[in-house]
Amino acid sequence: MVKKAHFVTGKGGVGKSLVAAVLARHFSQKNQQILLAELSEFSFYKDFLNLPEIHYLPTKWTDKVDVSQWSANDCLREYALHLLKIEKLYELFFENPVTRSLVQVAPGLQELAILGKVTSSPRRHGPPMNYDQLVIDAFATGHFLSLLQAPRAMAETIPFGPMGEQSRSIDRYIRDPQFTEVHVVSLCEDLPITETLELYFGLQNNFQIRPRVYLNKLFNLTKNDLASLDTQAQDYLSAEIEAEQRAKITLQKNGIKFIELPLVTSLNTETILTTLLPQMQGVE
Amino acid sequence: MIRINPETKTLICIGTGGVGKTTMAASFAVGLALEGKKILVLTIDPSMRLAQALGLKADGELHRVDLSEVTESKNTKGELWSCVINHQKAFEDFIRNASKNIANEDDINRLLRNKLYQQLSGRLSGSQEFTSLITLYQHVQSGQYDLVILDTPPAQHTWNFLKAPEKIAQLFHEGIANWFRAGDQSSSLIKKLVNIGTTQVLKALELLTGSEFIKELSMFFKAIQNWQQPLEAYVLNCHRLLISQQTEFVLVTGLDPSRLKEADKLSKEIRTQGYKLTSLIINRVPGWLSTQNKVEESSLQTTDRLKNIIHYYQSLESELKKSIRSFSSQQKVYKCFEFSQNTENVPQLKKNYNQIVEVI
Repeated sequence: MVKKAHFVTGKGGVGKSLVAAVLARHFSQKNQQILLAELSEFSFYKDFLNLPEIHYLPTKWTDKVDVSQWSANDCLREYALHLLKIEKLYELFFENPVTRSLVQVAPGLQELAILGKVTSSPRRHGPPMNYDQLVIDAFATGHFLSLLQAPRAMAETIPFGPMGEQSRSIDRYIRDPQFTEVHVVSLCEDLPITETLELYFGLQNNFQIRPRVYLNKLFNLTKNDLASLDTQAQDYLSAEIEAEQRAKITLQKNGIKFIELPLVTSLNTETILTTLLPQMQGVE
Repeated sequence: MIRINPETKTLICIGTGGVGKTTMAASFAVGLALEGKKILVLTIDPSMRLAQALGLKADGELHRVDLSEVTESKNTKGELWSCVINHQKAFEDFIRNASKNIANEDDINRLLRNKLYQQLSGRLSGSQEFTSLITLYQHVQSGQYDLVILDTPPAQHTWNFLKAPEKIAQLFHEGIANWFRAGDQSSSLIKKLVNIGTTQVLKALELLTGSEFIKELSMFFKAIQNWQQPLEAYVLNCHRLLISQQTEFVLVTGLDPSRLKEADKLSKEIRTQGYKLTSLIINRVPGWLSTQNKVEESSLQTTDRLKNIIHYYQSLESELKKSIRSFSSQQKVYKCFEFSQNTENVPQLKKNYNQIVEVI
């Protein structure tokens, strides 16, 4: 049974997918079975991990880690089939163009379907999942918050009936720190740092979740390193060095602990993963 | 230097999050205004620095940007206007505009109070794509500007933006709506009986969601009962704007191999769908990696870490050269150098626009 769900989020382009893959590998080293699930429409892991195909049903990556790609439609389909039981009725329901478009536009339904899948194992709703932990390469900051808010919003809109009940039970798991863990990836630039702070306190205040923060792609240079470069390069890189210092100070001032991830200067996936893996020590 | 077709009335910046779309849109805006055009730039979520630089306020109103700092001669006709899209307001304006002369105030208010409408117009459903589009349509339609530039929302995928009209149009499609208000009309009741599937599907939907959801849905569709057509027509016009020959798309991406692969896929898809994608801009190319620093690395008196970083960026650039072939036959490929983020101001945006260079 799934005991924990790790969501990895952050501003677009900060390296969420990479951090999620490193985390999945890290957890698997503790003799745990892991499912790494990506929510994007086009698979990132197919090329990055050099896997033949990635679908809704898991593909094996390592002995301990499988990879899946979850679309809201797939999640909804599985849920509907589980609830309706009758294949014929389900086909009638889903292969109808009108329903299909209704599912597309009904607000919050897609988000609810995804979180329904994430929490399906402990709620014993849907097919069994033989994993100890899930690592979810989730949406970017803004969309991620609406994802987490969806179950409660739905429960408030439709308080009665099976949908209201389901929404409330999903919401309980999402707000349970024993089950839900959030990892926020950031770069040192001002915009990602501001978003990280907003998200950090937003999660803490609205969900009682205390996320883990990662500072990614650090140059880890000092000004002494730059002496032999031309002025343009020196100016640019010193600004980078200052941004890194500023980011660390800002996080510290706000009482936020963070894990430092250096820029890995390689194009090889395995090298990137093994370089970052030791940094995850202590992440549970 | 990058060229925008003189006939172009709408310029849309697309690309996945974190590639610097907003800054690129603002750079185009400043650069083209200085060429003498009257420009409006619509942004979604500007950084604080950029907001300060352009005097942006998140009030959904239009503000004129002061270009005096960078204007060379006093008689330049160019003007730059900016607006941060207010999604809630845009959605409400859309409903009010589309239902003009058909619905009365009570009907409109009933819809605005409907819980499903509230969720639909809120952040939940990803309707930002749609509100961006209708705001764009409104301003292009007004004929007040030579060119309107749109910075698209930070979607998981650019498709969400291009699919927005279709997605919303489906909601207003009569087919769906008829289902939910069949109850009070005998003719549709007969239709319902003829179409056995419908009842089954409604039953399934009720089993899945509960009767409350169905009730809200039918209230929603009753509210928009008579304005389906104008709503649909409006959405259709938005779609026409996207495929118009006077609308140009610019795809912004980064130097990362996975980014480039994604941009390749995306640009092919966009063209297949009939949108006019003219340029691909690889943003944030490290300009500091100049020829001077490229000299035989061993001669650089520096640490291993810096050597590795330089080498890494060099290998990224050579990867780019490899993949450029598959791109360039399709559209022009440009690169734009990274600048220090401490200097996001109007002069920097001007410089940024001027240094977009074609990759050969």
